[in-house]
This record gives sequence, structure tokens and C-alpha cells, in this order.
Amino acid sequence: MNVLGKLMRNPPLLTLILVVAVLVIASLTLRGFGSYGHLRYIMELAAVIGIVAAGQTLVILMGGIDLSAGAIMTVTAIMLPLLSPAFDPTGLIGIVVILAIATLIGFLNGAGAAWLGVPPIIMTLAMATFLQGLLVIVAGGSAVSVTNAAVIWLGQGRLFGISASVILWAVVSVAVIVLIHRMPIGGRFLALGANPVAAQLSGVSVTRHTLIVFALSGFFAGVAGILILGMNRQGYVGIGEPYVLTSIAAVVLGGTSILGGRGTYAGTIPGAILLVTTTALITVVNASAGWRSIMFGTLILGLLLISGREARSR
Amino acid sequence: MTSDRSPVVEARVLSKGFFGNPVLKGVSISLLAGRVHALLGENGAGKSTLINLLSGALVPDAGEVLIDGKSTGRYDPKAARAAGIAVVQQELSLTAELSIAENIGLGAYPLRLGLIDYKALRERAAEACALVGLTEPLDMPVGDLALGRRQMVEIAKALYRKPRVLILDEPTSSLSAHEAGVLSGLVRRLASERVAILYISHRLDEVRSLCDHVTILKDGIVTADQSLSGVDGQSLVRLMVGRDPGDLFPPHQTNKAGARRIAVEGFAAGMVRDVNFSANAGEIVGIGGLVGQGQEDFLLGLYGAIPASAGEAEISGRPGLATSVGAANALGLAYVPADRKKEGLVLTHSIAANLILPSLGQKMKNGMRDRGAERNLIASLAKRLDIKGDTGRAVQALSGGNQQKVALAKWLPKTPSILLLNDPTRGVDIETKREIYLMLQGFAAEGKLVILLSSDTPELVHLCDRVLVFSEGRVVRSLERGAITEEAIVGAAMGLERSEVA
Repeated sequence: MNVLGKLMRNPPLLTLILVVAVLVIASLTLRGFGSYGHLRYIMELAAVIGIVAAGQTLVILMGGIDLSAGAIMTVTAIMLPLLSPAFDPTGLIGIVVILAIATLIGFLNGAGAAWLGVPPIIMTLAMATFLQGLLVIVAGGSAVSVTNAAVIWLGQGRLFGISASVILWAVVSVAVIVLIHRMPIGGRFLALGANPVAAQLSGVSVTRHTLIVFALSGFFAGVAGILILGMNRQGYVGIGEPYVLTSIAAVVLGGTSILGGRGTYAGTIPGAILLVTTTALITVVNASAGWRSIMFGTLILGLLLISGREARSR
Repeated sequence: MTSDRSPVVEARVLSKGFFGNPVLKGVSISLLAGRVHALLGENGAGKSTLINLLSGALVPDAGEVLIDGKSTGRYDPKAARAAGIAVVQQELSLTAELSIAENIGLGAYPLRLGLIDYKALRERAAEACALVGLTEPLDMPVGDLALGRRQMVEIAKALYRKPRVLILDEPTSSLSAHEAGVLSGLVRRLASERVAILYISHRLDEVRSLCDHVTILKDGIVTADQSLSGVDGQSLVRLMVGRDPGDLFPPHQTNKAGARRIAVEGFAAGMVRDVNFSANAGEIVGIGGLVGQGQEDFLLGLYGAIPASAGEAEISGRPGLATSVGAANALGLAYVPADRKKEGLVLTHSIAANLILPSLGQKMKNGMRDRGAERNLIASLAKRLDIKGDTGRAVQALSGGNQQKVALAKWLPKTPSILLLNDPTRGVDIETKREIYLMLQGFAAEGKLVILLSSDTPELVHLCDRVLVFSEGRVVRSLERGAITEEAIVGAAMGLERSEVA
């Protein structure tokens, strides 16, 4: 009873246990589901969600939301091939340039929220719409193929049998968890998310941290955009779109309060894996894609109700 | 004079505990029609719990509530309302966006054909407003009112229901002297109309002048249930704290004036205009006046939290005002807000997280937060301010007094040289008040400048070296030690004796 009660109040652990349970049951009942190749594939897909959701976690912890993350991914995926100069065989220049652009877009989100006082949900929605329009004009309807060596390696390369994308995700995970829990700025994000007035009167600058958090979200969306481009070898308009809601779902599944001020990236990680695993499950059993959405909705609501945290603290 | 009447509401040996901690232990209280009954006790003595039991918001573990001598069976807020019990909570329960009339009628709107009958609502709300002296237009949003006026709306809201029993939980803590006077008149009048009144207050003078009977709670037990006539303040305090209180205020100390910390001329911020002010290290400067005369804007302007301007300004030896809170902190300023729940603390976070917030990044190791050093710092702060228990608990679990201590303590690691305190003892129990007073004196003795904004006039009289009285955004009087009396402060605030040179 006591153990169960504790578990209910620890959403990241709850999500992790759910993921493991789903994986174990699916592997035992469905042939090939538990093979190393398939699990690796699941982790690669989860890496993309996990990395966009890293930025999303930070933004949501601070009480905001980033609806432009998908559009920033698309921008990255389409513009990277155009920005990778031919004289650079490694492709690193292109990556640096495109990440700077992604970060700048995020910074502009922050500027709108901090300086113009536009609510983040509106600011980032406007930004997403704006970027989509811009991309249609720049890229037209055609897909862009990638030849950038570094991007292709990130998307498809392996190190000791582990996908490069998963390794990248691991690095991002450590960095984000350290940032939230071991760096002063993480404590400030949380305080701002829970009570911006009190945090501001305690000397925490709302403007500064809003700019930083949205710039970080733009950066991580850029990284995820590079990954998806490397995996697909092609960028096209709309490639990042599904990741907006998926990243938010991963954050919420991981037990982070959508109202801000409470949560951890350690929950978002199993949240991302859970989303991909259930998708894979639906695909393998050949059910309609509609079931996927129904299941996501039920999962999010169910986990929220089980831990009952929103109701308890507000 | 009330002995032969039977009680309207009677609580019999109520007990209530939370998570195994008994808060009330066999408490009985009888509210009689036409009697003003005071309920006294320190914070944490169980007053709020008793009110919540009487209003049906909580269910007792043992004992029962009787209405008109009859057992109530299932007693919930609806039953309490039906019995005519109205509670004016200490925490305001108004909706800022709704108008005064809509707030007053909320939950009991007069209906016509299933729709709100605004005409009837206005009439009835106007009646209630007239009782409490609210003259603001009825369609004004409550959010536009000052805190003291909102409190009056809250009281009008209770009166709107024509209660037989009115429970007032610290109704005057945010009221100006004038509004408090109106309220006293109202309470007397309601009592003469045979309403039973339960009056909770930390202000003893008010209680002694207004109430007939007193129940005192100490640690969940009734230590007194007696008539108030012939009882002096000292003995009331003794019953609350269970020992001889001595003087609530420590004796005044004058420190040697240190270096000049603040000097502003022609200072303006919010509603503050043309303030010339200077103060030195080691001083305690009081800020007084009626509620909402720009005192808070003065502190916030100095703190860089709202835009401010000045002809000449020098803070901590540097020219110019702080343009942001961060800049103010860098100049050695710290601010403790009056509304600790909304502005002072991050309620859902732990005591530890709140204590470390302003000094995050001060204790670092290898570019990361040094958790060990932070833990030591937090433990030493908790010890220094006598904050008991696990610092991992959410700060909202603490009593008001302890919350205030956290809101103060969090600044100490930054060793501020100027403390701006906005009503630091509001809604705080006597014991904690004393602790805070001693701390303030300690700060001044260490060479800090303490600027104390207070709505509690005796506090200004006993603690301050100098008191500035604000009215309509201007300093109307500056009183030096020796000339600081309650009469002088209240008189200046209310525009009396303007001819007298301060």
C-alpha cells in the first residue's frame, strides 16, 4: 500500500514501469517485437521525440508552451541542405549555421513573449504559421535531398552497434537533467513556472529567462530536425509537424505539470519511449491509426488521474 | 447580560486532527444572538480549524455542532448556510473580474425566469454596501479596488445573505483606521439586531473595545471562556501564550548612525510623488498612513520592481535608482512582500527551494550547484530562524508565521544592507511577531538599514527611529523618535493638525 502510494506520487517512475511492461508483454506475445533491431528502431524514433521534448520540457516547466517546435524542425530539415557549402566535406558548417538559425527563431519567440508580452501559446502559434508560409515560398512543394555527411551519419550511423541518434539523445538527456537539477538556471525556471511574481521579486529576471528558455527550445528543435532529416534523407514541408503535439504529450506523460513549476526531464524520457512503443504496437497488430490517437489520449488522461497531481496541488 | 439566552450555534467538544496531529482537542463554544464573541489564540492554536468546523467546511473527528439547540446530523457548508451562518474569510474569496454587485450576490443571485435579475441584485447589493460604507459604483470590477475596500466587499457579501451568525476572521488586518471604525459601528449595530458574531483578531485593543465575551484557544484547548468586562490586555495575552508576555515589543534601541544608504529627491513611482528621503545604516525607518496611500509603491519603486524616477538619487553610494530587481539586489536591497502567498513565496515548492532561490548560484562546485553546501546553508537558516521540521516539505504546509520567517530568511545569505519590509507581521501570531521584532532590531544593530512599512501603528511607534506618514502618494509628515505616537501617526494620516510643524 505504502509502496503503491509512493509510486503513484512518482510519475516518472510510473511511466517508466509502464514502458517496460508494454515492451515486455509485446516482446513475449509478438514475434520480432523484442528483437534488438526492432528495439533499436524504437529508440531511434524516440530519440527524435525526446530531443524536441527536451526544449518543450524546459518551456513547460517555466509555465509556457512551444507550438513552433515542429515548424522549427521543418525549417531545419529543409534549409540545412541549402546551407551546407560544398567545400565542407564534413558538413559541420551547415549544422552549426542551421542550429544558429533554429536558436534565433526560438529567441524571437522569447522576445515576443518577454518584450511584447504576447502569451507563449499565441506567440509560438503565430511563429509556426509564419514559418510554414515562408517554407512554402522557399521550398515550394518539392522535397529536398540531403548529402551532408555529418547529418547522414547522425541519422543512420552507429557506434558499437548503438545508433548515433540514441547516443546523441543520451548526451542531450544528461545535459538537460543537469541543467534542470544541478544548475542555478534550472531552479530559476522552476520558480518562475510556479510563481512568476514571487520569483521576480526574489531577483529572478523574467525577461532574461524567457529569452533563454525559448532559445533553448529552438535549439533542441533544430537538433531534432537534423536527426529526422538524416533518418529520412529528405526534407519536406510538414516533416516536423507531428512532433509538436507528440513532444507535449511526452512531457505530460512524464509527469511534468502542464501548468509549470513542477516536473523533470527524467519523466519525459520514458514518456517519449512510451509514445513510440504504443505506435509500434498498433502498427504491428495492424490496427487502424485512429487507435493510436485514441490510446495516446487515454494514456495521458489516465496517468494524470492516477497520480492526481494537478488536483492535489492547485 | 446574555446568560439567559440559548445559543444559536453551539459546538460541543469538537476534536479534529490532520494526518494524525490533533489540532482541536475537545473544544466547545456557544454563539449567542446579539453577543459579540471574540476568538483569540496564536496562529496554529486552532482558530481556523474551529471556524471551518462551524461553517461546515470540515467534518469533526468527534463532537457535534448544534443549531438552535438541535443536533444537525450531516453538517456541511450548505447546511451551515441554511442555518444562516456566514463567514468572512481572512483570505479574500472575491473574483477580480466580476463587479462589486456580482461578487456580493455570487451563489445567491436573485432569479427571474431562470435568469439573473440584475435589478433586484443591484438593490439588494446596494443595501449591503450601504451597511459597510462602500460608495464605489456597484458595477466596478472588484479587481480595481484597493485591498481594504475588497475586504469591505467581502463583508458586504456576507451581509447580503442576512446572516444570523456572522464569523469575521481578522477582518481589520487590511483595513484603514477609518474603515475599521465603520466596521466596529456595523458590528455593534448587527449585535443590537440580535445577530450572533464571532470576531477573530490579533488586535487586542479592538477586541476589548468591541467584544462582550471571549474564548481563547491555546494548542487546541480552550484556556478561557469568559466575559471580557474587566479583563486587561496583559491577562488575555497570558492566556494565549501561557506565560507572562512581558512587553510585546522589545525596548527601543538607537544605533549609531552609519553611512548614508539611500538619498532620493523628487522621487516618484506609481502613485508616489515628490518624495525627498534619506536614511542611514543602522536606522529603522517606519512607513505609515492609511492603507493604499502609495506606501507599497514607494518600496517597489526603490526596489526597481516598478518604474520609478527621481531628480537626485543615490543608493548604497552609487548614483541613480535601481532599474530592475536584479540591479536592486546587486545594490544590497532586499524586499519582503506583504502578500507572502502570492508574492513572497513559491507555495508549491519546498521550504528549501524557497530559502535558496535568491542566492541560487552562490554555492557552486565545478560549475554546478553544490548540493551539500546548499543543504548546510538551508539548515543553518532554518536553525537561525527557528523554522522547525523537514525543509523538504512544501512551504504551503507551514503556518503564516513560519511562512513569513521563510520569506525573510531567504534573503540573509545575500547579506543585504537595505531591507524593505512590507507589513512583515500581518496575520502573524504574537510569538512570531516578537521574534520578527527582535530580528529587525538585530539587523539595524548590525548596520543594516531597515525600512518597515506597517499597517500596525503600535509597531511603528515601538520600533522605529523615524516614521514617514504617507497620504495620497506624498509624505505628509516625518516624525522623529520622541514625537512618534499612535495619535501623531493616525492624525497625520487622516489629515489632522496640518498646521503643526513635524
